[in-house]
Amino acid sequence: MKTYSWLIRREFWEFRATWLIPAVVGAVLLISALFGRIDMTAFDSHLAALNLGTIYLLGLAVLFYAVMSIYTSWYLMDCLYNDRRDRSILFWKSLPVSDSQTVLSKLLMGLAVIPLVFMVAADLTSLLMAFVISIRARTFSAVLWNPQTWFQVQVLWLYVIATTAIWYLPIAGWLMLVSAWAKRAVMLWTLLPPLVLYLIEKWFLNTHVVQNVLGQRLVGYAAVAYHGNEQWINDNMSEAATVPVSVWRFINPAGFFSSLEVWIGLAVGVAMIVGTIQLRMRRSEI
Amino acid sequence: MPALIESKDLTKRYGSHIALDRANFSIEAGKIVGLIGPNGAGKTSALRAVLGLTSYEGQLTVLGREPFRERTALMGDACFIADVAVLPGWLRVDQAIDFVAGVHPKFRRDRALGFLAKTQITGKRKMRELSKGMKTQVHLALTMAIDAKLLVLDEPTLGLDILARRAFYDALVNDYMDDTRTILITTHQVEEVENLLTDIIFIDKGRIVLDSSLDDVAVRFAAVTVSPDRIEAARAEKPFYERHILGKSLLYFENPDPAKLAAFGELHTPSVSDLFVAKLSGGVA
Repeated sequence: MKTYSWLIRREFWEFRATWLIPAVVGAVLLISALFGRIDMTAFDSHLAALNLGTIYLLGLAVLFYAVMSIYTSWYLMDCLYNDRRDRSILFWKSLPVSDSQTVLSKLLMGLAVIPLVFMVAADLTSLLMAFVISIRARTFSAVLWNPQTWFQVQVLWLYVIATTAIWYLPIAGWLMLVSAWAKRAVMLWTLLPPLVLYLIEKWFLNTHVVQNVLGQRLVGYAAVAYHGNEQWINDNMSEAATVPVSVWRFINPAGFFSSLEVWIGLAVGVAMIVGTIQLRMRRSEI
Repeated sequence: MPALIESKDLTKRYGSHIALDRANFSIEAGKIVGLIGPNGAGKTSALRAVLGLTSYEGQLTVLGREPFRERTALMGDACFIADVAVLPGWLRVDQAIDFVAGVHPKFRRDRALGFLAKTQITGKRKMRELSKGMKTQVHLALTMAIDAKLLVLDEPTLGLDILARRAFYDALVNDYMDDTRTILITTHQVEEVENLLTDIIFIDKGRIVLDSSLDDVAVRFAAVTVSPDRIEAARAEKPFYERHILGKSLLYFENPDPAKLAAFGELHTPSVSDLFVAKLSGGVA
């Protein structure tokens, strides 16, 4: 446990962008709140105000999450490549830290620690922005200061972090595998094999299995992790015009964990991580 | 007492290239061993195998462990300096100390700080801001603060100027070495280490050419300065190497009979570097 805490700290030293990027995004938003135009007339009706408050918090969360996804992908491609390129792997390997500890700490960093940093950054930004806007508008409106909405967004954040970590594990595993293997051009090697597989299949078999499997993995998350089929929307969302939608009714953990797709993805992801550890044992500097 | 490092038929292939070809050697505790060979002889492959950084064929035990399978446990008792360039540029000196202290149970922070206090290096400096010589000092400070049984150095002074090289080896001998420790050094600059070593292992084209203590070298090898008129008689004793300088010939003999050889001229023990050249070039130079 102590070793893992040092390994995570090490990642923060090496990848300073982990806190610099959310800090910059937060600062830009805060500046816009300080100097932007504020119009509170939209908050007139109580119900519209509550929904608008949800949209405010969700909008910030989505923005931070989108930036985080791009950064995490970049991190996972880089994390096992950098120290091979500058040969510092020979220093890290001279310490009693196993290759599985190294790989797992970086996986933990990419799928849990970085998302949590962005979540905290989104929270701080939303509170500071709400404060600035309220001061400038000279009213602490329930739109921006609704503990219930705020709490629900936290639940959503944690649910998203946990379920995307599982859903996207095969993608993360693939990025790390390439990161531990490639001698150069990590991003090219990340994209090339799936592309080649797709083209070979298309030309010789004229089927689309690779495309369907990869496409479903990339965009299929929401359908698995949330309620959303037409029946459910008809039953539940018709009242949304009058009552703010609760996050509890929207997330679908039971459906997520009973989905075969989730478990297949998990198995593939674990296999890729095992492969990454093996590569890390055998490949040293480039 | 069993040897600290014991290899039997150690072989390493990279595709069709054989970097180590059934190498046998053993290293006992308390020695300073030089693994010496020309570039591309297999030195680094041998070290990588000893340190568990690469898979291999044949048998190898280091501190009673199988290096590749048990690298993590092995690194609790062994440490190594690959060469000066391997500390990452983004790492600060104090972070390096904190990290090693955090993950290594046998690291003694006070010793590392004591060593660094003798230098110009401050804790907030990043590795990329330090000169090669300073980086080596940081790495040495980190390594010497670990209570390890085995220290492995792979071309540790590559790219350093003569002052930094001297400082490195002085620190190694004065501050680090004692009876409980063993050092394995690879280098292709033999002159630099020959006064330090207790044992030498010569390696060439992946094979061990010589594995001997320096005391034994004095008994096993002799060089004789022979004048031209006696050279044919001396050649009859089968020297394994000849060298001609300034009208005189130096003939190198293995397992010599000193009484016989003394008749040809002045007898002396070859230096490690001379022996290295003699052993590896073979024939007449």
